Amino acid sequence: MLLFSASDKGGTGRSVTSANLAYRRALSGDDVCYLDFDFGSPTAAAVFDVPRVVRGVTSGGLHSYLQGDVPEPMLVDVWADTEHEALRTRPLGSGRMVLLPGDSGGGEFALGHDTVGRCVSLLQRLEEEYDLVMVDLSAGRSYAVDMVLAATAQPGLAELTSRWLVFHRWTRQHVIAASGLVYGDRGILAAGVGHGHDGDELREAIRFVRAAVPDPEAVPWNQVPAAQVSWMRKCDEQLMDLAARLDAADSRRLGTVPLEPVLQWREVLITDEDADSGVANTATRDALVELAGKLTLDEEWGER
Amino acid sequence: MRAPGAEPGRPELLCGEVRTALLHSYDPVPHSSAAQLLKLRGDAPVLLSERPNLHARSPEVLTGVDCVLPSVSGARTRCVGTVRARACVNDGRVLQAAGYFGVAVAQGGERRQWSHYLARPGTVETFGRLRHDDIVRGFLGTGQTAAGVLDAGATAERLLTRVTAHPALDGNRRVPFKSRRTRLRWTARAAPDGEAVIEGFTLAEGGLRTLALRLPASTLAAPGVVAAFCEDIAQHDWLLTNLVHLVERGRLGSADRARAVRSLSPAIDQLLHLWMPGARVAKELSPLWDVLEGEPGFSRQWQTLVQRIRDQLALHTISLLHAERVPAEHMTTH
Repeated sequence: MLLFSASDKGGTGRSVTSANLAYRRALSGDDVCYLDFDFGSPTAAAVFDVPRVVRGVTSGGLHSYLQGDVPEPMLVDVWADTEHEALRTRPLGSGRMVLLPGDSGGGEFALGHDTVGRCVSLLQRLEEEYDLVMVDLSAGRSYAVDMVLAATAQPGLAELTSRWLVFHRWTRQHVIAASGLVYGDRGILAAGVGHGHDGDELREAIRFVRAAVPDPEAVPWNQVPAAQVSWMRKCDEQLMDLAARLDAADSRRLGTVPLEPVLQWREVLITDEDADSGVANTATRDALVELAGKLTLDEEWGER
Repeated sequence: MRAPGAEPGRPELLCGEVRTALLHSYDPVPHSSAAQLLKLRGDAPVLLSERPNLHARSPEVLTGVDCVLPSVSGARTRCVGTVRARACVNDGRVLQAAGYFGVAVAQGGERRQWSHYLARPGTVETFGRLRHDDIVRGFLGTGQTAAGVLDAGATAERLLTRVTAHPALDGNRRVPFKSRRTRLRWTARAAPDGEAVIEGFTLAEGGLRTLALRLPASTLAAPGVVAAFCEDIAQHDWLLTNLVHLVERGRLGSADRARAVRSLSPAIDQLLHLWMPGARVAKELSPLWDVLEGEPGFSRQWQTLVQRIRDQLALHTISLLHAERVPAEHMTTH
């Protein structure tokens, strides 16, 4: 399955949540690869804690490949190359976890026929090998978004399962922006249809993920003064209404990841060890596990 | 250094790489479709063979090169000539692409017209001293090929991509199981005593395998025959690699046998019947297969895995028969 991670704004937790979902799928036995299409600001290597490619690679990354400078992009075996202590021992029964880093100097570039063709070849080739191919796209209606919309509309990719996650934080501006990214005049749907996608099918393949959501009913938010709690509840309700009006309501939501202190401090993978030792909230881990499971549950995606 | 008896202009050394992959198709493609995929040239036919298995091979295509030879010492020996590439589809299921070339010492120290090189297809000529060891070790090294260095793997990869992108595959591209690609890098040089031997066969990370051969001069003079031998090794190594992977993922011996059997079904449906080592290997090279059968023992490992799969099926069948006989009220539901 091809899974594209998008967000309208930066700082939505898109990359860190996507990497955590990839990690969860690998733990459950899937062979997973993670493509850093966040051209300009590659972050995945930092989340997977692979220091040698942490600022992207100087050459041979995805950017070089898409431009036709190298025949194949570089692959990093995360289990073998990570410096993350809890990841160095690959758990029994886990699948492979491979990172395709971006190039350090790679900004946006023009969308050409050759580039789309190379993108199609790459995704076909990875689909041959991996259970989950996760593509982290740069924020906004970026070049990367346009490229994969063009690629997945091609006959050689259109028949494979492609799904989209759109990440946003749980604030008024973020909800509006995420909805605009999907349904706006220049949004994913409109652009997708322009590239030849079926609008209804594409709509069914897009789900929202709310990230870094404070839960007014849980610690520490339920321990603040009563006036604050009731204010937060009211906000929460208003946001629900807003989301519903913008077609980003529950039926279009795949999951919610709670606000996690660990992730506020550092963009990392949340391991079971973190959750069991109390460093990270178990609710965060559980939300990630649930969300990872839903990626392949057809009923969550309105499959017809 | 020149091998004993080598003549100028005649390849003293062969290098190549074979890449093997599952064809992007849910069902094996019919023989006629394989021919369509492999029609790389308008002026040359696809070779089709039906015995002892289905095998389709593309005509060869040439790529002109002017670059430096692989080397471990860092010697930048320039070479000019052409690299051959060809692809094949085996039993409509396995796709292979190969790039290979022979290395010869140029007569005279200057680059000639392209017509000269085109008259020697698949040969690159060098302008410096030919250091066989250096080239072989450089070519079989596990690192990434540096820019500007002759790369048979890149030639193979381009061809693999080209065949894979063929529109005839569209509409049926979902693969029946996830598979791993393998790359076999091989070299062949003259055997001092004229006898074919395997100097080394290794498995490295990332699906890379290396094979170093010593061959009699008469065999070196037929690069296509050597390439076919390497394709055969590569195909069987790929089969073994992927069967091992499927069995590993099946978690045999765990409590849920039905799940294990389900996850093994692609192996049964798609792979088990493809094992036929040496089927398309020339007589003079077939003793080398016997060597590989002794060490590391390809068929031994394959048969053990096949037996494990069949045992799982048998046990699963027995448990189903047993479940049928147990009255319904005594059955526990899961």
